[in-house]
Amino acid sequence: MSFVHVHGSGRRDFLKAAGAAAAIAAFPAVARAQARAVKVGYILPVTGPLAFEAALALNGIQLAVDEINAGGGVKSLGGAKLTLLPGDTQNKVDLGKSEAQRLIDQGVVALIGPFSSLVAFSVRQDTEKAKTPFLLLAAVADNLTEGGLKYTFRMQPNARAMATLTVNNMVEMAKAANLPIKRVAIMHEDGNFGTTMGNHVEAFAKTSGYELVQRVPYSLRSPDFTSELAKVKAAKPDLLLVSGYYGDSKLIAETASKLRIGVSALVGLANAAYSNPKFIAENRELTEQLFDGNYWHNPQSSRARAVFDAYQKRFSSTMSNHGVQGYQVTFVLRDALERAASTDRDKVRDAIAKTNLTDHILTQDAIRFDDAGENVNASPALIQVQNGKPVVVGPARFAESKPAFPVAKWKG
Amino acid sequence: MTSGLLLQAAVSGILLGGVYGLVASGLTLIFGVLRIINFAHGAVMMLAMYASYWLFVLYGVDPYTSVLITAPLFFLIGAGIEKALIEPNRAAAEHNQLLLTLGLALFIENLALVLWQGDFRTLRVPYANASFVIGEALVELPRLIAAAGAVLMAVALFAFLRLTDLGKAIRALAEEPEGAMLVGIDVARIRATAFGIGAACAAVAGALITPFFYVAPDVGESFNIMAFVVVVLGGMGNFVGALLGGLIVGLAESLGAALLPGSLKQLVVFVIFVLVLLFRPQGLFGGSRGR
Repeated sequence: MSFVHVHGSGRRDFLKAAGAAAAIAAFPAVARAQARAVKVGYILPVTGPLAFEAALALNGIQLAVDEINAGGGVKSLGGAKLTLLPGDTQNKVDLGKSEAQRLIDQGVVALIGPFSSLVAFSVRQDTEKAKTPFLLLAAVADNLTEGGLKYTFRMQPNARAMATLTVNNMVEMAKAANLPIKRVAIMHEDGNFGTTMGNHVEAFAKTSGYELVQRVPYSLRSPDFTSELAKVKAAKPDLLLVSGYYGDSKLIAETASKLRIGVSALVGLANAAYSNPKFIAENRELTEQLFDGNYWHNPQSSRARAVFDAYQKRFSSTMSNHGVQGYQVTFVLRDALERAASTDRDKVRDAIAKTNLTDHILTQDAIRFDDAGENVNASPALIQVQNGKPVVVGPARFAESKPAFPVAKWKG
Repeated sequence: MTSGLLLQAAVSGILLGGVYGLVASGLTLIFGVLRIINFAHGAVMMLAMYASYWLFVLYGVDPYTSVLITAPLFFLIGAGIEKALIEPNRAAAEHNQLLLTLGLALFIENLALVLWQGDFRTLRVPYANASFVIGEALVELPRLIAAAGAVLMAVALFAFLRLTDLGKAIRALAEEPEGAMLVGIDVARIRATAFGIGAACAAVAGALITPFFYVAPDVGESFNIMAFVVVVLGGMGNFVGALLGGLIVGLAESLGAALLPGSLKQLVVFVIFVLVLLFRPQGLFGGSRGR
């Protein structure tokens, strides 16, 4: 299906640019007085299987861009405004590559995207070749920053941090509740994302002292998970971890509930549904007291709360993990552009590498990147649905509420 | 492995198989009569699922009742698609017709994406979570209804094709197109009718699936590939075969999930598929003759 590819927008952009050039030639004085625009490209699966999640991230990016532009643009560039150039990957590797290349050719200062790790893994070679900063969004596979890349940066926790810190949060919490976790089961989708999470949970068992009693990879599009969950139930785990996307995770939670799965808690690992406000609103009874280890805004930060409200007002929906990422990654770029005082991609890259951003909305300390481009302080929040709202229950210094554990209804 | 687990796998396999059979029945009819592999079947079903969804959300029509509206509606849509797109291309090479239905599928999916975004939508019907336990096995009521619907639909289609003049005309066309034309059957009309019935079957399948699944623009893909496997297993153009093929695929998938590690369950299904293609290319239950 990769042969379906619309080139129309590129041509339109060209015409627009040509028109703008003509206008500038006609009114040179006006043009000089106006600030330059800084082109920022995104490549996201805005159509296709991840369209819903991509839209959430795009909302966050759009919110940040508008906030930056309304606040006077990039000041060190004479108030230059950010212009978003769109790219649609449809969650396909070949389209991700061609869209990235198109945006690079159009002169973007950096690329944000592309959601899936598989697409990211290919695109990073193109951004590296074109010496264009590539700010990963949502992609968590560990290997994305491997290989001595200079232009790829990841603000969000990688799979290792996401999996081990979340499980660790749960283990600590269970210890505090005097109900140590000995048996763990995981269900994960069988793509790069879920498999990587599964690998970490399996490896972490040795250091953390629990037994992985059942590991079930599954196909994203499977219409039924009853047999898989019956198998999990038979293994009698204390915890069931679920690493997946929206539809599959929903089906798993529903089926687990009907089967009376008998665990102390059902915990999402970077789960696309379990802390998703829409999922919670539509499934109040099912989702109450679900856990999720995920990317989140810091409820203790007043700025984060303001952003949260602005998002709610503009999109009439609650800002979720992807919205937080889209928003914050755009501000990481803004911060770098301010310090670089240039749209030269190499200078911007160097500025991103020297990031030390404390004014952010995340549940972590300052955003800083190591040599590989990983955010050294990246940390997921432990979220639990309480009274129909996802709230941060860990780590303690960011928590807005106490965790309810064990969860009686899952113990059933 | 405990017997409880096996029983659960068998029960959910049968229910899942019913759903596959349900989706496959329209597909197999269209193939039997028009000799076209309709890649757009899943997309049409997705549209029908949206129709049932909106009828429930906007007018409070129960998804099962909505069949009374969506089935005739999609019969007309299907017949229209056949008249407007398939019929003019009948003379074209087979791969052109394949590409046509594939393109139609892409068009419908992206249309849905534009109209309703990529949101996953769920119908909150009161009986969505209704279930009971047999032995140790959980039976979800909406899935049971869907499986029963599959059986009913296969029987109804079978009776329709055997007992009515229109049904006999469809069968005549499927078996001997030129002969059918020579005895005065309006073959163009029959082809449109058959495609319409196939689309109506997709609408019924969609309405029965909606209560226990979700609706999204790509939801058809969850069932489409398996439906193709089922059609080939059952013999292309064979309804009873489609139902039995559905059961085989559902059971293979479900037992595979329970007994094999990892996501090998899909492998089991496709191994069966390849074996059937190798050793019984006409399908396990014969070709169109089985009708």
